[in-house]
Amino acid sequence: MGILFTRMFTSLFSNKEARILVLGLDNAGKTTILYRLQMGEVVSTIPTIGFNVETVQYNNIKFQVWDLGGQTSIRPYWRCYFPNTQAIIYVIDSSDTDRLAIAKDEFHAILEEEELKGAVVLIFANKQDLPGALDDAAVTEALELHKIKNRQWSIFKTSAVKGEGLFEGLDWLSNTLKSGGI
Amino acid sequence: MFSLFYGLYKYIFSKTEFHVLILGIDKAGKTTLLEKLKSLYTNVEGLPPDRIVPTVGLNIGRIEVPNSKLVFWDLGGQPGLRSIWEKYYEEAHAVVYVIDAACPSRFEDSKSALEKVLRHEDLQGAPLLILANKQDISDAVSADELARYLDLKKLDERVYMFEAVSSFDGMGIKEGVEWLLEVMERSKRTEMLRARAVAAGPASA
Repeated sequence: MGILFTRMFTSLFSNKEARILVLGLDNAGKTTILYRLQMGEVVSTIPTIGFNVETVQYNNIKFQVWDLGGQTSIRPYWRCYFPNTQAIIYVIDSSDTDRLAIAKDEFHAILEEEELKGAVVLIFANKQDLPGALDDAAVTEALELHKIKNRQWSIFKTSAVKGEGLFEGLDWLSNTLKSGGI
Repeated sequence: MFSLFYGLYKYIFSKTEFHVLILGIDKAGKTTLLEKLKSLYTNVEGLPPDRIVPTVGLNIGRIEVPNSKLVFWDLGGQPGLRSIWEKYYEEAHAVVYVIDAACPSRFEDSKSALEKVLRHEDLQGAPLLILANKQDISDAVSADELARYLDLKKLDERVYMFEAVSSFDGMGIKEGVEWLLEVMERSKRTEMLRARAVAAGPASA
């Protein structure tokens, strides 16, 4: 009974805050995206060992965005951050065609995680400013996004450096979280 | 013994889950339809039409009616994205094809995309509901006119219906869902999908 009231209370009065994980291979552009969203500018970044967390306020939703380091050695630690996650932003370096297969495997391994079963998935086909970057349809194919059948997903072409596509993605995310998530 | 009763209980009381694909070219109103379905059948208020952005991926709507659950898959309709439609065919019980009835200049595009859908063997026997959408706009054509215009061949053996709807104000949507439920419950395809789920084992059922 107490739990019921607590739930009612939090659902009525809590400020909507969503926990969002930004994941992807190393050098995909996760940290650049995070700071572009948060400050609106491009910062020069170094490879993330550990994580960066920032709060981004957008469309009346507070996004608590966790940017986790992407190097092979630290990917196993992503798991520590999985509980209570409403959404995953998976970032792809669309010009790094050699590693798309690895990016795909990592991606589908993440989707298998029990604690992320309820999270919606936003994919950023990033680095569209680079020559040879694959478009959204090609990245969709390469990542085999069609295998996702029981949760919502969307893909956006982005350039973190130019600031393109990121907020369109957040628009989708806030809409989706508002209309009931998965 | 317990599991026997439990199995029996589940067999009698569990709701059948149907997967319904919402297809159509871009700007037909697929996502608006999905959000309207959420508003009509769940206690979640769907997004208002002015907040809906073009879909690049998959939106899902789950609704429950007495005896069954419906899972709607709404896929993006832009030309580059239509190639993923077919990956969802195999598991679909039925297809809802949405057409903007107020935009005759795109009927041809709609028709050829639909013909491609119907030719695909993974959708054999799937009931088809064609929606003449956007009836809230005054120059929208009626369901009959649209049917005449599309002039679909090879529909003979497929269970199908044309219905005039408005995803904007909700007109015709409940009738469409009722029709879908009725035909899916007795379609051969449902039987086939059920048999396949049983063969795949309880984990996937």
